[in-house]
Amino acid sequence: MKTISLTINGKAHSLEIDPATPLLWALRDHLGMTGTKFGCGIAQCGACTVHLDGVAMRSCSVPVEYAEGKQLTTIEGLSESGDHRLQQLWVEMNVPQCGYCQAGMLMAAADLLQRNPTPSGEEVDAAMTNICRCGTYPRIRAAILRAAGDPQAVVRYAGGEA
Amino acid sequence: MSDVVLNRRRFLVSSGLFAGGMALSLSPLAAVPGGVAAQPAKVPGEGDELDPWIVIRPDNRVIVRVPCPEIGNGAATQTAMNVAEELQCAWEQVEVEFCDFTREWRQPGTYAVGLQPFFGGHSTDHERMPYTMQLGASARERLKAAAAARWQVAASEVEARGGELRHGDKRLSFGEVAAEAAAIALAQEPALKSPGDWWLIGKATPHKLHLPQVVTGSAVYGIDVKLPGMVHAALKQSPVHGGRVKHFDSAAVMDMPGVRAVVEIDPRKSVGSPVETQSTFGLEDSQLRSGVAVIADHYWQAKNALDALPIEWDDRLGAFWKSNEQIYAKQEEILQRWQGKAITRKGDIYSVEPAQTVEATYRTPYCEHVAMEPLNGTALVSDGRLEVWHSSQDMQQAFWVAVDESGFMPENVRVHQTQVGGGFGRRTMGDDLRVVVAVARQYPGVPVKVIWSREETTRQGLYRTLLGASYRAGLDRKGMPESLEAETCFSGLQLNLGFVDNIYASNGEIENVRLAVSKFPLHIGTGAYRAPCYNSHVFTVETFIDECAAAAGIDAYDYRHKLLGSWDKSWRKCLQVAAEKAGWGEPLPRGQGLGIAISNWPAAGEKNAGTTVCAVARVEVSPAGEVRVRQIDMSFDSGRVANRDAVSAQLEGGIVFAMNMTLNEELTIRDGAIVEGNYHEYPVLRMADMPQINIHFDALSGHERFAIIGEAPVGPVGPAIGNAIFQATGKRLRSMPFRKHDLSWG
Repeated sequence: MKTISLTINGKAHSLEIDPATPLLWALRDHLGMTGTKFGCGIAQCGACTVHLDGVAMRSCSVPVEYAEGKQLTTIEGLSESGDHRLQQLWVEMNVPQCGYCQAGMLMAAADLLQRNPTPSGEEVDAAMTNICRCGTYPRIRAAILRAAGDPQAVVRYAGGEA
Repeated sequence: MSDVVLNRRRFLVSSGLFAGGMALSLSPLAAVPGGVAAQPAKVPGEGDELDPWIVIRPDNRVIVRVPCPEIGNGAATQTAMNVAEELQCAWEQVEVEFCDFTREWRQPGTYAVGLQPFFGGHSTDHERMPYTMQLGASARERLKAAAAARWQVAASEVEARGGELRHGDKRLSFGEVAAEAAAIALAQEPALKSPGDWWLIGKATPHKLHLPQVVTGSAVYGIDVKLPGMVHAALKQSPVHGGRVKHFDSAAVMDMPGVRAVVEIDPRKSVGSPVETQSTFGLEDSQLRSGVAVIADHYWQAKNALDALPIEWDDRLGAFWKSNEQIYAKQEEILQRWQGKAITRKGDIYSVEPAQTVEATYRTPYCEHVAMEPLNGTALVSDGRLEVWHSSQDMQQAFWVAVDESGFMPENVRVHQTQVGGGFGRRTMGDDLRVVVAVARQYPGVPVKVIWSREETTRQGLYRTLLGASYRAGLDRKGMPESLEAETCFSGLQLNLGFVDNIYASNGEIENVRLAVSKFPLHIGTGAYRAPCYNSHVFTVETFIDECAAAAGIDAYDYRHKLLGSWDKSWRKCLQVAAEKAGWGEPLPRGQGLGIAISNWPAAGEKNAGTTVCAVARVEVSPAGEVRVRQIDMSFDSGRVANRDAVSAQLEGGIVFAMNMTLNEELTIRDGAIVEGNYHEYPVLRMADMPQINIHFDALSGHERFAIIGEAPVGPVGPAIGNAIFQATGKRLRSMPFRKHDLSWG
């Protein structure tokens, strides 16, 4: 056990915790911040993505002590009131299905746009390696491109008035 | 005491029959000219409820309590839309809550209406949709009556619109008179609106109601439940299904940080329900699998201790099956005998003297759902009461599993439904919930949250049925089938939809047909996996028909078009739309191919029923054999659609699910146990693997039904890809997953 000081979404926290505990479980179990999701535990799926000093990381595979002294941002802190452009588009474009992977998707997408405000479709494909089992990829891709300023980016479905 | 229970049970049976009978007698929506016939009043509300389903707060918020979970398909939202359509509130007022199934026990008929709670999908089902619309209509008329009483005018002169009641220049919000309306009983139920008067269904395309919570991380899934004093459990169950814990050494981990207890999950200790259960699917597939759980302050501590815990297993019979190869060989042996039980017989297949015979055998493997939310649940057992928080796919099933495992009277059991991080059929049976209760029962007084690791979630699945099928067709001189013989061999859950009613056998175009089934039971748990068994049958049927077309030297599209004959013309329309949009017939570069397939869930053998779906896949195969699906065009006919965007989302997701199932998924059995554990061993498609997906609404017939949409697309995508690969390479793929075939050419 060790006392670890964390700065999460701009707020200071202090934890008595085994320093090897994955950051994910420190957030979820010790701090009750459950927006960051457990999916695989081996940095495969990206459901646990957070920003550490502004860079996307898979928190299931980072020990909590690694986050000490760094600025940590979780989905709860992506925006003040849920109005990040990506969050707005995610709702407007009906992106999530079950929604479980989407916090990680949003954190990965926000990281991408921070590094590259106008990514091409191929750049989105290369950057977004998180898993969604519901198959919302086409909508995620369209929403990111829309946020990057492409007003034409939509999921294509058409025809029939019945 | 037992007399009382029995009497209560008898009452439930009779009222349950009444409710079922009532639901079954409802006409399909709009079958009655000008709208739908009025229905009898429902179960009365309590307190300030207008109805057990509808509560309107003084601030004008409309709460719709639904018995269907939200697994991502929008079922809860659609149910609320059905209510709102008739209620005449504004959509912005509407919120959804999950209902309390204990109340169904207290007040029978409240929420278990027809097949209402079933799965969580199917909210536009022809039984449920009019039922929920009637609830809205009834509440609206009572609100009007309450306003009329205040204003001393006739209720018929009051207009309800946008959550507001109006008479002349007088205005009242629904919320202002909701309490008065709750006390009003109507002499007669109102008739439903004519579909032509709808303002919401088929008109608006609202997003799912839970999305604002999803994008801020505040939506609560089962795994997110937080309760005072809660402890956490990690568990391991017998790697070989049906095996048992032989020995474990608690002492080895009790001193590890945070550890509180080590408990056994023992199938012999399930208590059993004190009353006859009313579970949706029966309780057999919810039975415990033997295992051990470590309970600790935090999950990470519990997991570490579990990893350090020595456990010995008795594998029992399952260990006989050493490998997939051994299992597949046995399956093939069964199919080669052609001794299956006939389920369809027409004409005489033996009388045909074909110009040409086509034969092939196919296989689809065990697959896991790998929903993103690992299995989990939280339970508190205290003072003869059980409370559970769970991401179930079927609330009625979950409730009765909780009763059955605890042995408590239903009134002492409460199951709280949470958001669900992916269902696909996996969270149907309640086997996970039963384990949670079995663990929590041994650590009473505090809430226990049980989480399966990803590896345990994968290995303790209820998988897609392992299935093999042999086909034989006799073609006439023109290359068209005169006879069709097939046998499907099931290892696990058997559903014949998509096989017995496959369109070529059921539409009368082939005169001599014999379809048979055989069983090859194994110890491995199976269950619903998005469009159960259909997802395999459509692969076998639609690949075989493609093989017949190739043998006949006829274009795959023309062949199907001909075989569909004069059957329900929407099938031909689906075929035509998908093919045209995909550029069927245009010359393709070397290494590319187009493939087509068509199917219907769940009513291929009926006209104007179910959802017909046609997929055309464009694939590219590199000379080294690397497959790239470049484009999927999908057309469909579900009659009408209630929410275009929601329907498109389900088709898009269904296509991706089907692609993964087809290209990637197969569980490996070694010494009776599942080998794969995590995503690095069980690959799932990512964004870079996506084709261009085009959903075409042009084949919609406008028939009055709103058929279900989530399962249908999982059928034709796989065979369309396989048929396209054949076009591209000349290699015929007869087993999934395709990634395990050598597709190199040139």
